[in-house]
Amino acid sequence: MSDRRRRFEAQALPHLDAAYNLARWLARPPLDADDIVQDAMLRAFRAFDSVRGDDVKPWLMSIVRNCFLTAVQSSKAKLNVPIPSDDEIAADDRALMAEHLDPEAAAIQAERSRHLNSVIATLPQDFREVLVLREMEDMSYREIAQITGNPVGTVMSRLARARALLKEKCQLDGERGRHAMQ
Amino acid sequence: MPCNDALQVQAYFDGELDAPAAVEVERHLESCAECALLLADLEETRRLVRDNAAYHRADDDLRERIAGMMDREGGRPEKPARGFIGDRRFLSGLTSGVGATALAAAFIFFLAAPPAPNLLVADVTNAHLRSLMSDHLIDVVSSDHHTVKPWFAGHADVSPPAIDYAKQGFRLIGGRADFVDGHRAAVVVYRHGLHVINVFAWAADGEKLPDAVTRNGYHIVFWKSGDLVFCAVSDTGESELTELVRLMKETKT
Repeated sequence: MSDRRRRFEAQALPHLDAAYNLARWLARPPLDADDIVQDAMLRAFRAFDSVRGDDVKPWLMSIVRNCFLTAVQSSKAKLNVPIPSDDEIAADDRALMAEHLDPEAAAIQAERSRHLNSVIATLPQDFREVLVLREMEDMSYREIAQITGNPVGTVMSRLARARALLKEKCQLDGERGRHAMQ
Repeated sequence: MPCNDALQVQAYFDGELDAPAAVEVERHLESCAECALLLADLEETRRLVRDNAAYHRADDDLRERIAGMMDREGGRPEKPARGFIGDRRFLSGLTSGVGATALAAAFIFFLAAPPAPNLLVADVTNAHLRSLMSDHLIDVVSSDHHTVKPWFAGHADVSPPAIDYAKQGFRLIGGRADFVDGHRAAVVVYRHGLHVINVFAWAADGEKLPDAVTRNGYHIVFWKSGDLVFCAVSDTGESELTELVRLMKETKT
């Protein structure tokens, strides 16, 4: 096994889930997150000799994001993500329900997740990506700035906006839900 | 109306502040009900996302595809760098007029291919332009090399000398970490009159350096000193830039 491959497996592959999660939150059909991640990993692998250990995650994430933008460009797909199909949601729900023993609690949990996922999915890309990188990947402002090619100030204001939008949409819809139940 | 300190409160929540700034925010939170509410909202949003949002993990199929990719790549010798103008996707991006996306797409190739000298020129030009367009010119503002040089130690792969040549007309205004050619470069930033001069430095790995060139009105000079590669970029006059390069080469560190 080559030395590069050993290093890649030790330093880059541990971030594969993070890379895939980002690709999934950025891309929706007809774009395929698997293809985007595979393309990104190939580019990362070829260039891997030039990176240092502690930089790997943001570096990899920026390549994933760039590959996503290239895929968008070549497919002429829209950047806005359509809301997931009902089939997809039903499958997610079943998966969530299976984890719980109490069916009622499971149903509430599944509904909450389904709703939150569609709220995040419908945020504009600029907001969605900073939210995913910060809240799901726990990345610093500086790393997010590096990945998205924006100044730190822009990252901060987009993150604030993304969080405010998320709260607003969840709160409003939550209130609607309560009224409907009464 | 949102309080002016909202972003500072968010930075506090995200653990981005140093101790004195955090203490200041904590003091502010005691007296500003609005910010206290914001902090509670931030905590709630985070809990909501972390507990309920989908986290998509790579499945075995994708892992196998990547292992297969490495098998195919593994035995091969290093491929020559890919010319980026020749890339079909870049051209289609360019011709369809979506400049920003094409530019973003172009960055992939700077990141992903071992850059040939002409790509290196494009890469430092882009890094220079990025620094001027955004407010990300300087990470550490200082004209004191005792502040700038140690800062690099924690933020870049190399720690080049950061010497003020104000007497000769080149004022040291600070330092920055940036990506050039896949390296985490240290950038020493000078001001000469109204012009900004970025001096990039990264660890030399035996690459062939391009000759001095002018690209889009920016002069670019490369040189090697010890085990570091330096690259000065600016729209200042060519002779002024050469003068700074001469001063830097002369200074023994």
